[in-house]
Amino acid sequence: MKIALNDWLDKCIDKLNADELTEVDLKDVINVWNSEKQLILYLYSKSTNLRSPLGGWALFDPTVPDEPELPSQEPPYASVLDAVRDGWRIVHFPRPELHSFSDVENAYLSFEFILEKIV
Amino acid sequence: MYNIEPTLNDDDVMQFIHNGYITLEGIIDADFNRECDTKNGGRLNEFVHTGEFRRNVLLHPEVAGVVRSLLGDNFLVPTNAHHHLFEAPHRGQTWHSDGLTEYGYGITHLQCYYYPKEVKIEDGPTMILPGSHFRLVDREAIAHYGNILGQLSLTVPAGTVAMTRYGIWHKAGPKLNADRRGMIKFSYFRTEMPKRDWVCESDDIPHYQHKGRHPYVTEVESYRDRQRGQLTWNWLCGLTEVEETLPPVKMFNSGIPLSEITL
Repeated sequence: MKIALNDWLDKCIDKLNADELTEVDLKDVINVWNSEKQLILYLYSKSTNLRSPLGGWALFDPTVPDEPELPSQEPPYASVLDAVRDGWRIVHFPRPELHSFSDVENAYLSFEFILEKIV
Repeated sequence: MYNIEPTLNDDDVMQFIHNGYITLEGIIDADFNRECDTKNGGRLNEFVHTGEFRRNVLLHPEVAGVVRSLLGDNFLVPTNAHHHLFEAPHRGQTWHSDGLTEYGYGITHLQCYYYPKEVKIEDGPTMILPGSHFRLVDREAIAHYGNILGQLSLTVPAGTVAMTRYGIWHKAGPKLNADRRGMIKFSYFRTEMPKRDWVCESDDIPHYQHKGRHPYVTEVESYRDRQRGQLTWNWLCGLTEVEETLPPVKMFNSGIPLSEITL
């Protein structure tokens, strides 16, 4: 998203300097601005440490068709930190204290980080 | 009474406690597989009552031997079955466990998946998550889960029966083609409190052996799995006083005691 917007703004500046900037060019910038999409990535880390390995993941990408994909056993990243390094932003940190705890029972997958990327 | 010999030994039972499933690959007669493969999707309750279905599937010595090992004598033989039939491509179901979570330590209910036809990865095989039968969850609250390390796609030859502890997380996997993919699902139930009457070499009850850590499980979760497995082992061996209602009170509980079956 940022890259696309920068490209359009660079073009507009060039056109402005050449005295060729029109209303259509500016409306195109608005269109780019309004076309942003949010990608959501769930990562299940083996601990609350961002460097821990992952046990599960799910990507929700509204920019691609809803086609079936074969299952995978290859995590997209080695860790949550690795995903952040690739431009993902964490929007939810796991809060273990919100779940009941016992020494015997397991329940939902631990530890759920939710990340976003705007494209 | 129809005699069923147990087929599992101590180690097999511990493996089942840990993984929550056993697969018996390609055991059903090929002609009978072809007959089952032609069935429509949906309920198969009349078909499951027939002598041929009981002989070929429900009381097949290997299938019933596992049931006899895990549910004891005079278990309930299924009288309900559902044919889960998929043809068109789809993204796959979401992870879920069926019905209401059954959460005692005991093993009182085996849910089975019978595949009359070979299932390849493009056919949208059933996926299961080994060890997940220990987890108490709201099924709608795990619907956003995607790939999980250790998940298993049941790509199997025709005539395979997978036998699971009710409660294991599963789903129909993503289907890339338009080929027919069927699975007939049915359940057995326990009627008697357990004793260690599977295949035993000695009267000495061995200690429970934890079978390792599933790939998606954290360290402390693995300790809990070990603890819970120990409790289930003790229950199956008749070492604990914990009583379960037998046959279990379940939403879809239906069956005929083995002692009333005639073929």
